[in-house]
Order: sequence, then C-alpha cells, then structure tokens
Amino acid sequence: MSKFFPKVLNLIIFFIIVLQTFIYYLNTKSSTKVFSQKSVSVENFSSIVLSKSGMTKIGSEKLNKVDGNNISLEGTSYLENSKYKIYGSNIFINIEDDVSYSNDDVEVINSMGILNAEGFTNLDSEGKILFKGKVTFVSHD
Amino acid sequence: MTKYILIILLFIFKYAQSESYVKAGDSLIWDSEKQSYTANGDVEFQNDKFIAFADEMIAEYIEQKNKEVFTIVELFNDVKIEFKDEIFKGDYAIYTREDNIIRLTGNVSIKSPTRLLTGYELIADIDNNKRILNSADDESLVEVLLDNNAKN
Repeated sequence: MSKFFPKVLNLIIFFIIVLQTFIYYLNTKSSTKVFSQKSVSVENFSSIVLSKSGMTKIGSEKLNKVDGNNISLEGTSYLENSKYKIYGSNIFINIEDDVSYSNDDVEVINSMGILNAEGFTNLDSEGKILFKGKVTFVSHD
Repeated sequence: MTKYILIILLFIFKYAQSESYVKAGDSLIWDSEKQSYTANGDVEFQNDKFIAFADEMIAEYIEQKNKEVFTIVELFNDVKIEFKDEIFKGDYAIYTREDNIIRLTGNVSIKSPTRLLTGYELIADIDNNKRILNSADDESLVEVLLDNNAKN
C-alpha cells in the first residue's frame, strides 16, 4: 500500500498541473475571443493589452465589449503598467486611440507617490493623465 | 523584544521620511513625457520647507535614485507662501529645489509679525535666511537680512 502511495500522489500532482495549464490556456484564449466576438461579457477578467505605449495589464469584475474598439470595465477595475497602477471602477477603454477614462473615484500609484481623484482621462500615447475634480497627490519626495 | 524594537524603528522611519503633497480643486495633469504635474483650481502645495497656495501650479520632477523628486515648482495667480511665520504674496512664484530659493514677482509682499514690505520682486533664499525685495523701477532696492537668532 505504502509502495503505491507516492506514485498515486505524483499522478495526482501531475494531473493538477495539467489541469492548471489547461485553465491558464483557456483564460488566455478567452481574452482574445472577447475582441473578436460582437457582444461579449466576461466576469472576473484580467488580461494584458499591447498598445502603442506598451503593455498594460487590465482587470475588472466584469468586462463588456461595447464595439470593435471600445470596452468597458465594470465594477472594481484596474490598469497597470511600468509607469502606473490605476485602481478605480467603471473604466472605459478605446483601444484604437489608446484612451481610457472613468468618472468614478480613482487611486493611482506611481514611483512618486499616491494620487486620489474623482475621475480621470488617460491619453496613454501622449503620456498624459488628466485627473478630474478634487485631486490629492501625496509624494514621498 | 527585538520584534517590538523593530516595529518601533519601522514606525519612526516611516514618519521620519519627508512627505510633500499637492492638492487641486479642479484638475491635475500628469505629463510623464515632460515630467511635470499641472494643477488647477485652489492649488495647495506643501514640502518640508513651506506651504504654498495659488490658482495654478506646474511642478517639474526628475528621477533620482529610482524615485521622482520635484525640482522646480511654479505657482501662478494669487500666490501665497507660508514659511515659518512669514507670508510671501505675489502674482507668480518659482521655487528651485537645487538652491532652495523662492522668487516671487508682481505685487509682491512679505509679511512677518513685525513688518510688512511690498515691492515688485522678492527673492527668498531659505538656506541663507536672506530676503531681497526689489521695487519695479530698480532704483530703490531693499535688502533685509534676517538675524538668525531672531524669532522668524
């Protein structure tokens, strides 16, 4: 009995790894599908978008495809790249123009500090982010 | 015991780090290509030296030791800077971190508990505790050297 136990355990671990790989493959593939289908919603979504300004990781509770170029991140959402981490909700992204925006409260972390605002428009290709309303930026200067 | 000392040291270190902030009433634009922040509407800026108020502010920064630091801060319209018990006012101000000097122009005033001086241009050298107040015509120049021992 004890002779077979390690073999069975190894087999289970191997099976779990294969299953994980398969799930990862499906997750990655589903994000590609979102952009090719006409009307798609994905829950607990996270993916990497390659835009003119580089790679940005995006995620949300729910992703909705508005049209060929526009998607909306519904509920708690984020955008992360090497320059910043934007945490907010209900973020709209225009993939073609490299523009994202939200009219909800947002928190941004960059290498200088933490910024809080009442909304934002991110012109990623220009390297500019416009924060709306009352803005507080605390820097570790 | 060591754990508690470590926690206390971390706490002290956290608060020992200097922290500055920018507050804007209307908007703030972060331009990562020009390396600047432009704030609009009831702007408030504070660093370890002073606190400033204005309608608009442009702060430039550089990357230094893997972090960004403000190097030049420009303030526009209704500028008010509070430094210890002095208040500087003007239409425009520029602060350069490198030499710790604040220059104000246009309807400038410097107010302290004992005096109020007005002019066109004020240069406040923070490190050397020196103030230079110029009038518009360059004819009369007032230089005020503060006594280091004086209450200021």
